[in-house]
Amino acid sequence: MKCEEAKLLLADYWAQTLRDQDEMELEAHFATCPACREETVRLESMWKGLAALPPEEPDSKMRSRFYESLGAYRLGAESRAKKWWPLSPALQIAASFAILALGLAGGYALRTDNTSDQVAQLREEVTGMRQLVALSLLQQQSASERLRGVGYAFRAEPSNTEVLAALVSAINNDASVNVRLAAVDALHTFSGSPSTRQAVMEALPKQNVPLVQVALIDLLVDFKDRQARPELRRLASDESVNDGVKQRALWALETLQ
Amino acid sequence: MKKLIATTFLAAMAAGSLRAQDQTKVAFPNPGQPRKLVVDSMMGSVTVRGYDGQEVIIETSGGRSPARKRTSEPPPGMHRIGSNGGDVNITTQDNTIRINGNILSGPANMTIQVPVQTSVTVKTLSGKELLIENINGEIEANNMNGNVQIVNVSGSVVAHSMNGKVTASLNTVMPDKAMSFSSFNGDVDVTLPGGVKANVKLKTDRGDMFTDFDIKLDPTSPPTVTADKNAKKTRVRSDRSTTGSINGGGPEIQFTSYNGDIVIHKK
Amino acid sequence: MNDNALMQEVAGGQIGQLAILFERHHRSLFRYFVSMQRDRQVAEDLVQDVFFRMLRYRASYDSAQSFTGWMYQIARNAFMDHTRKKRDVVDIDEFADRRPEFASKQPGPEETVVRKQDLGLLQRALDMLPTEKREVLVLSRLQGMKHDEIAIVLGCEVGTVKVRVFRAVKALEQIYTGLEQERQENVS
Repeated sequence: MKCEEAKLLLADYWAQTLRDQDEMELEAHFATCPACREETVRLESMWKGLAALPPEEPDSKMRSRFYESLGAYRLGAESRAKKWWPLSPALQIAASFAILALGLAGGYALRTDNTSDQVAQLREEVTGMRQLVALSLLQQQSASERLRGVGYAFRAEPSNTEVLAALVSAINNDASVNVRLAAVDALHTFSGSPSTRQAVMEALPKQNVPLVQVALIDLLVDFKDRQARPELRRLASDESVNDGVKQRALWALETLQ
Repeated sequence: MKKLIATTFLAAMAAGSLRAQDQTKVAFPNPGQPRKLVVDSMMGSVTVRGYDGQEVIIETSGGRSPARKRTSEPPPGMHRIGSNGGDVNITTQDNTIRINGNILSGPANMTIQVPVQTSVTVKTLSGKELLIENINGEIEANNMNGNVQIVNVSGSVVAHSMNGKVTASLNTVMPDKAMSFSSFNGDVDVTLPGGVKANVKLKTDRGDMFTDFDIKLDPTSPPTVTADKNAKKTRVRSDRSTTGSINGGGPEIQFTSYNGDIVIHKK
Repeated sequence: MNDNALMQEVAGGQIGQLAILFERHHRSLFRYFVSMQRDRQVAEDLVQDVFFRMLRYRASYDSAQSFTGWMYQIARNAFMDHTRKKRDVVDIDEFADRRPEFASKQPGPEETVVRKQDLGLLQRALDMLPTEKREVLVLSRLQGMKHDEIAIVLGCEVGTVKVRVFRAVKALEQIYTGLEQERQENVS
């Protein structure tokens, strides 16, 4: 056996999956080749040491997070199913076949070697999941939960209009100023789309909470949205608007020149 | 004085009313279930205090004082809705007790005692002080023109004041709960347990930020940081949101002010 | 019930069965992600991600395939998506900072490691390995996966996996030796 051949067997040797025949030949080689033997001993100490590394344990909160998300997902899935699940038995059977066909197509896609397609598809799926969790959390009674919903929305794909609509609705209507603020922050990730700019422009005149007004103004500056100038001018000259907000609007007008 | 209105037998619902300088007790229908108190007071200071008992005890004082009486005369062409202006409405549904102040009653101060394990949501429009203490649960507080003070609590806090200072001190933080503290004109001063794990987001436009926590700032938002040795606190300054983590990170905690300082103390 | 059967039930709409799979696998997935990038918070997010992906992609699960292989394929994609987003942000120093310090305990007699080994040093060496080398070691040694399962995850031949394992161990040994020498020079 040559040294190169011996090296090819080492992975199996360490994993204890080497055939008896190969193991005997390998050991015979070690007996005649001190260099290989020495190297193997050194490498084996690494292999053994790896098993002794202390494992990292997740925090217990990870479990509660998972169960919460699973619950939210099931709720969302059920309410969605109700929306479009056809009532007649014949249609139900047809729909089942359609879903089955989709499933098979999906399975085929996974087996093909086109990994970039898979990655894109998977990314889409996960985004959908996050959106679902975000949308369901944004409906919660507790402000703390709605803040978490905004946190999920933060990581949604910028293109999702449903999440955008939920965030804009939170900015305009949420009972908690803190949730409104967080929702404005989340819109930074949606900055690319014209519909976001439009939504922010429309939200500004409806807003009466100074801290949120300032956050919206800052967002428009961040978007470099020069079309926002008329609205900013109106805000700066509105008597009923808080002085700090007026100053901010003036500053924004200067910045957007 | 206290009258109960029978409603459908599906929804357990009780309604009561009380006059100024009165005391009323209301019990949660299911003491073993999670309890929630919601207070919406238009005017006057509000104190919510946890105590070792099962009922909610509501006391009001100072409503319709003679000095204030003039201001609560109906404007020309308008008339008063309801006969007793000092009323506070109480309703109970799904183990949530709601207390609504009456805007026409003038400033009435309210002190409400609740079982310690209760989630509390309080909103006031022009109360001078909003104080919440000795509570273990989810707390939401919003005082438009006065201070928000939250002392000796555990759980989670979401608090805002437009013109006042927001002060909060938590003994323990419920894992997994997002929190947020904000004020437009006032300081935001928050004390958290030393071991708290959190991702923090801080922003003040005109104020300064101080903390004695070791906040690991995100590389994406590098502000200038200078150690102020005299103050023994780290001073953080930035025009934009600063993000970072405490003790390796965790649920998000947001601190926002426009004109005020942000101070985060380690308990 | 084995993993494949459970995942088939999940695919059939019994979403709750995912909880059992979570209980069985979230620790090893967590360890995989921490080994890949050291940040515990990110690792937790990625573990959640993997189970989200399983759920959303459940209809395409092929029960003839190894569940573990499928799961790590998903985990790998989740990790790649993460690094794509983060690439410009995290630098080497940051990465090194995140690594928790191990208490360097005295090796006891029960440790049959040939060389007196400092586990802290070994961990550092592992962290310094290029990602693809680290990954193959994490999968084969830390997660105890079979070579054919790893081949599915990495999308390569079984023979290639074996060669990669050997090369990764060799690279690890070189880095470890380098770190050891460096430390001795600092001491003397």
